[in-house]
Amino acid sequence: MEFKQVIGNRRSIRFFEPEKPVEREKIQTMLEAARLASCAVNAHWAKAVVIERDKLPEDKLEQLKTPVTALNVELAPVHIYWYADLSVVNRIEGSRLKELVDVGALAPTHGWTHKFVDELVYPQILKPMTESPGYAVAAAADCGIAMCQALLTAFEEGLGACFSAFTPNIAKEVFNVPDEWIPLYVLLVGYPAESPDGGGQRPRPPFEEQYFDGAYGTPFQRDDAVVEKLKQANMIQPPATPGNPERMDEIKRLAERLGLPL
Amino acid sequence: MTDLQPLMDYATVQTWLDDLRRHWGDDTDGVNAERLDILEAFCRFADKDPDSVIDECLRVKDGEKVVRAKGRRRYADLITQFQAQVEGSRLKRGKWGNTVRSFLIHNGILLQAGLQGGDSADEG
Repeated sequence: MEFKQVIGNRRSIRFFEPEKPVEREKIQTMLEAARLASCAVNAHWAKAVVIERDKLPEDKLEQLKTPVTALNVELAPVHIYWYADLSVVNRIEGSRLKELVDVGALAPTHGWTHKFVDELVYPQILKPMTESPGYAVAAAADCGIAMCQALLTAFEEGLGACFSAFTPNIAKEVFNVPDEWIPLYVLLVGYPAESPDGGGQRPRPPFEEQYFDGAYGTPFQRDDAVVEKLKQANMIQPPATPGNPERMDEIKRLAERLGLPL
Repeated sequence: MTDLQPLMDYATVQTWLDDLRRHWGDDTDGVNAERLDILEAFCRFADKDPDSVIDECLRVKDGEKVVRAKGRRRYADLITQFQAQVEGSRLKRGKWGNTVRSFLIHNGILLQAGLQGGDSADEG
């Protein structure tokens, strides 16, 4: 599948085939995609715990449900719990930056040397950064990039997926994660029971409200020709519309098949 | 035992049926009559009228209605008990439980009970 189409095809899938197992190979592929994500200072804060739903004791599965996610937790055969490991920067002390210097990804042309990392970047920038109030936000943003690559890969592999919040204290107890890991989201994964189209691309705010040209207040003007090109590439697909009878019928059929309220 | 008025007299029942109609366009008399019968059976089981069921799942905080977690849990458990005592197939029990869940959901009480024996479930 072409990259633009993968982006276009992604939907937050909330109806999974509960009994259709997900191949371990596909989960590994998602994790491999996450590992290759762009990452500030090559720190790689993102950590994940993969859970096969049916291998969890029933009481633990029950504990992991929240009022909003209980159904999806039950439907999705695989759960990937994502964390940001805040301890990593002080543990590696810039060593992964020096790896980048060694392989020529960071070069003296841009001022990078081992000495620069050892004497300036780690002690004067990175270490103080770990003590600043915004550190966790920066780390979480970085993890988001990795998580997104895993998410898109799921769709490229023919799976469906959806990020959800989870209850950190219960997950910590169940998965035994270190104290320094801060909880982000759980990525619920499975084969979609709903149509891949899911009723169309979900509503989004207008482009010009989100993006600016030069400075805030000047919308980045959308070029219709580009939009048309992206439609041809299936990145921009027909939008979901309120009360779409086909989508409503699909939900009714799913509710009947899975035993869900309407 | 709580005296029940005709169910259509309760505001929460009106809200439920109106929202079902708005959302699903599904308001045939036969379907609604079955829904009302099931809700009435639940109300008798819980010994509560429909408005009280919803009231007990909500509270007012800073002038806003918010879900009362304890009330929601209590009714989630009661619905499970209610459907367990329904005679018939697992499919029927699931349908009865889900009809009551639908009543709460369309009155703004988020409730997820998981799979309740749909078409693919074992019968009996």
